[in-house]
Amino acid sequence: MAEFEPVLLANVGKDNSHTLKAYEAVGGYRALRETLKDKSPDDLITTVRASNLRGRGGAGFPTGLKWSFLPDDHPGPVYLCVNADESEPGTFCNRVLLEEDPHQVLEGTILSSFATRASTAYVYLRYEYPKSLARLQAAIDECYGAGYLGKNVLGTDFSLDVYVHRGAAAYVCGEETGLIESLEGKRAWPRIKPPFPAVEGLFRKPTVVNNVETMACVKHIVDRGPEWFKSIGTPADPHNPRDPGSYGPKLYQVSGHVNRPGVYEAPLGLPCRELVDRFAGGVWKGRKVKAVVPGGLSTGLLAADQLDTPLDFDGPVQAGCLGLGTAGAIVLDETYPIIDFLYNSCRFFAHESCGQCTPCREGTHWALSMVERIKAGRGRLKDLELLGEIGDSIGIIPGTTICGLADGAAWPIKTALAKFRDELEDYVKQTNPAGYADIQPAIAMPAMTTH
Amino acid sequence: MATITVDGIEIEIRTGERLNAIEAAARAGVEIPHYCWHPGLSVVGSCRMCLVEIGTRDPSGKVSMGPKLMPACNTLVRDGTVIVTQSEKVQHARALVEEGLLLRHPVDCPICDKAGECRLQDYYFEYGQAEGRRADIRPFTSRRRDLGDVTFFTDRCILCTRCVRFTREISGTSELMVRDRGAHEEIDIVEGFPLNNKLSGNVVDLCPVGALGDKDFLYKQRVWFMRRHQGVCTGCATGCSIWVEENQDRVHRIKPRENPEVNRWWICNDGRYGYPHVHDPDRLVGAVHRDAGRTVPLDFTGLAARLRDGLQASGGTLGAVLSPFLTVEEAYLLATAIRQLDSGAVLAIGPVPVVGEDERFPGGFTIAAEKCPNRLGVEKVLAHFTGGVTSFDQFVAKVGEGALTGAWVSGGYRDPWIEERTAEKFARLKTLVVQDLFPSPLSKRATFELGGAAFPERDGSYVNRQHRLQSVGWAIRPPAGTRTEGSILWELCGREGLYNASVVLQELARKIPAFGAAVGDFSDIGIDLRLNQLA
Amino acid sequence: MVANQDWMSTTEPILSDDLLDAIRVYFPKYPTRRAVVLPALHTVQERLGYVPAQAVVEIAELLELHPSEVQDTLSFYGFFKQDKPLGKVRIWVCRSISCSARGGEDLLEYLCEKLGIRPGETTEDGLFSLEFAECLGACDFAPAMLAGSELIGDLTREKIDAFVDRVRGDT
Repeated sequence: MAEFEPVLLANVGKDNSHTLKAYEAVGGYRALRETLKDKSPDDLITTVRASNLRGRGGAGFPTGLKWSFLPDDHPGPVYLCVNADESEPGTFCNRVLLEEDPHQVLEGTILSSFATRASTAYVYLRYEYPKSLARLQAAIDECYGAGYLGKNVLGTDFSLDVYVHRGAAAYVCGEETGLIESLEGKRAWPRIKPPFPAVEGLFRKPTVVNNVETMACVKHIVDRGPEWFKSIGTPADPHNPRDPGSYGPKLYQVSGHVNRPGVYEAPLGLPCRELVDRFAGGVWKGRKVKAVVPGGLSTGLLAADQLDTPLDFDGPVQAGCLGLGTAGAIVLDETYPIIDFLYNSCRFFAHESCGQCTPCREGTHWALSMVERIKAGRGRLKDLELLGEIGDSIGIIPGTTICGLADGAAWPIKTALAKFRDELEDYVKQTNPAGYADIQPAIAMPAMTTH
Repeated sequence: MATITVDGIEIEIRTGERLNAIEAAARAGVEIPHYCWHPGLSVVGSCRMCLVEIGTRDPSGKVSMGPKLMPACNTLVRDGTVIVTQSEKVQHARALVEEGLLLRHPVDCPICDKAGECRLQDYYFEYGQAEGRRADIRPFTSRRRDLGDVTFFTDRCILCTRCVRFTREISGTSELMVRDRGAHEEIDIVEGFPLNNKLSGNVVDLCPVGALGDKDFLYKQRVWFMRRHQGVCTGCATGCSIWVEENQDRVHRIKPRENPEVNRWWICNDGRYGYPHVHDPDRLVGAVHRDAGRTVPLDFTGLAARLRDGLQASGGTLGAVLSPFLTVEEAYLLATAIRQLDSGAVLAIGPVPVVGEDERFPGGFTIAAEKCPNRLGVEKVLAHFTGGVTSFDQFVAKVGEGALTGAWVSGGYRDPWIEERTAEKFARLKTLVVQDLFPSPLSKRATFELGGAAFPERDGSYVNRQHRLQSVGWAIRPPAGTRTEGSILWELCGREGLYNASVVLQELARKIPAFGAAVGDFSDIGIDLRLNQLA
Repeated sequence: MVANQDWMSTTEPILSDDLLDAIRVYFPKYPTRRAVVLPALHTVQERLGYVPAQAVVEIAELLELHPSEVQDTLSFYGFFKQDKPLGKVRIWVCRSISCSARGGEDLLEYLCEKLGIRPGETTEDGLFSLEFAECLGACDFAPAMLAGSELIGDLTREKIDAFVDRVRGDT
């Protein structure tokens, strides 16, 4: 394969890459100008559908298909929400895009708004990205000044306002209906579906929620055409007519115990090993890999012998993980105890569970209680069994919760138990030699009190 | 028609009928357990207790089941929907929800008011798992917090949010909220803004567990000691359907009785807590005859004859006041009895209490300004006998002019209803019969002073402001020595045996066209009397 | 809206006209007043350092909501302080897996000891408020902390010392 030329990160690292001037100098807003000249919203939807672009936020839902669920005859308004609540541990590519090349994201947002007939777009930006806020707001202001935003964009009938809405440190706002509720000024409890946002979303109007990186991809698809996009990545399985494939460039993030953590762009399907060894410069301190989280904490663990897994939408699934997720790989070296991973993960999801659905609210909390107790040397083999049951039973995949947060809580537990059971059992036995075989209910550790 | 299959049972529903899987299953006699869903509130689908398997049956009869569990509350059924509620998968999910809800629950059933009617308890026996695996047991806590109109037992709450949604969607007052996030969440109020609205008591009924406590009922009765009876609230002209819950002739609780045509699932606090007068020690009880300064207690035996004789002896020009607190049957019997004694007797309606204006709530509930249950029913009876309605003021004027020699005045008011000034005008009557709930300036002047029945003691029907007639039976017996209006009037009319309200209703329904719709049987939610007139 | 009139009338407003205007700026951006809850909370916390109970009541009044609706939202996020104002610098130390695996939690503990406070608390001198973050989205700089709007990556004890000294020196 010829050396891949970065597309999404093409401008990153250049001087003033975040400014309109620099962006226009490399062909920025050309796609928008061309589109507004003679294309219709439907043309754009057709283009994006043809590209098989799948959402970059985690679930990988085909973007064009999502747009096509919008009702044709709705009097409006229609809303576009750009999901910049990037909060999945191990994920930071949206931050890099928004800080270094916000116009790329904005151009995609304007194009997507045009396609979906949205007249207002809200960028839901997590609070912890102050630099992104500054850069993005400055870029929006530049766009209003240049006629890319506001009333009659570039002199056409198309008008668009883009507003930045700041979050307040809640992971669940990244779930699209949690985001919508939060934007409406409520607690971010995800909504039960149906109705889906395309039918009844923000302010009860048809709404599309798309990820930042997805927006950037839209820009390039419109600019270079769907065929270009489909020339990159892992083709669809010809034997599975429902497989949309894994096309296009992807921003891979790698962090944890590696020499060069960072964000790297590669065609979808990059083998995990290549990400770790070639891009990230291998495991730090000359150590070996114990496990890799392939795509953000939610996706679970790949064991050291699974590093040839291609990081496309299907690869991690085949390797027993939740999915590609956000393609934020977290590398854990051979010295890192899996119980610590389990503890960190359970603590995160218990803290971030929105508390609405019983299985998630109680399951994540219970799982954390057990892991805390195990770490305190009072674990029992029975606890591993119970953890496994929680892992198998909570989430939208089994159908027991409204949103996918619980799936994210479940897979780290499931994969840790499936792939590192011996280590966990040894830990329990060694730390609690007298009581590891107990099956009677145990007394809890003091409850976690900080919020 | 649409055909739905629930655990192999086929049921048909009307085309266009919007039912979720819980409602459809109930039609097939299958209970799908649920906490957060309530037919009167928005669907949030968060408790996850109603998870079932959903599939579809295609026209060829082939059934394909969905891959995952679905919340029945948010699944609208349509033709071909297949609901499976008893599979191993469903049972496992229910057991896990039940286990989850009990993880941090104090299980303080022995001191919890809800025990005996608690869904958490009921469902545990029905759907919980036998194995006690409550690892990570915490020290027992049972925190209690005052939310204003109700008391909140924090640790018993399962976060179904029904109460919060009620204040936002039905009462429109929004006092309740969820506080914090995840396992730290609790129902709460903002300090200084307590739960304080006229519908607040409903949140206690809505609470599927023992988290919300009714201050009026707290620790008064174990629910299984009480019997409940169908009733109609007599507090205003809305005429809400209620349950009267009593133990040994003492009312302990009033609850709403679902009636889609009247009050849906709700009642107001005035009605809910408006029963203490029933057990007021100052109630007028028994019967006395006042004659030349002597007050003689009267026996039940021959009471009607004494009253009849007394009225006739007055000179025979009679009148009667039919209180809007009387049931339709009582009003009819009173009018009949007086007209038997004097075919030209003056018949009038008692004072109709009106307080302020109607209060409407966003969820559609209305508290009527008219604070009596049966003005329309009494007016319809009066119209039959007199062709019109004579007001109480007109009646008083006639009495004051000396146009009458004897009168029967029915009361039944909860609050003082007649002033000394008005009562004085009755002085010219030779015979005055007053049957009332409380002593009044008028009852003190009565020749015959009779204690009357409170609403849970009455048998009969009321016609609410929407012309809906509802019939109820008595829930408790009247105080010792007191006979109900119905029973005295029945005897006064010369009828044999015991007072039977349904016999009276059928009689008047056949005789009076305005009551024609009430002929024969009708359901517990009552009947719209205008139906007949439209037909 | 049911407001407790007695309580309202005896209390001086805490939100100045200027601050209310700063919130009103958001009105045209949303079709409902309720959507302005988060911007309003941010604005108040930025200006006052916290969102005391009375501010909640006043925000509710401005946005035509019941105070419980504002408080419900506020409390969900765990981001807004209500008891007392935040310190001059609010520090978030990341404890998510990428940072934790590279020593983030030890550094959080170090900072706790150095400042003499626990996460969620503010130092006596009012300079520092300390929080843990679930993930700062700065895993490429793990371990990381966000101090005000300054991201400090590849965090070490030395960097923490230098930072704390700098803030103390500025005052």
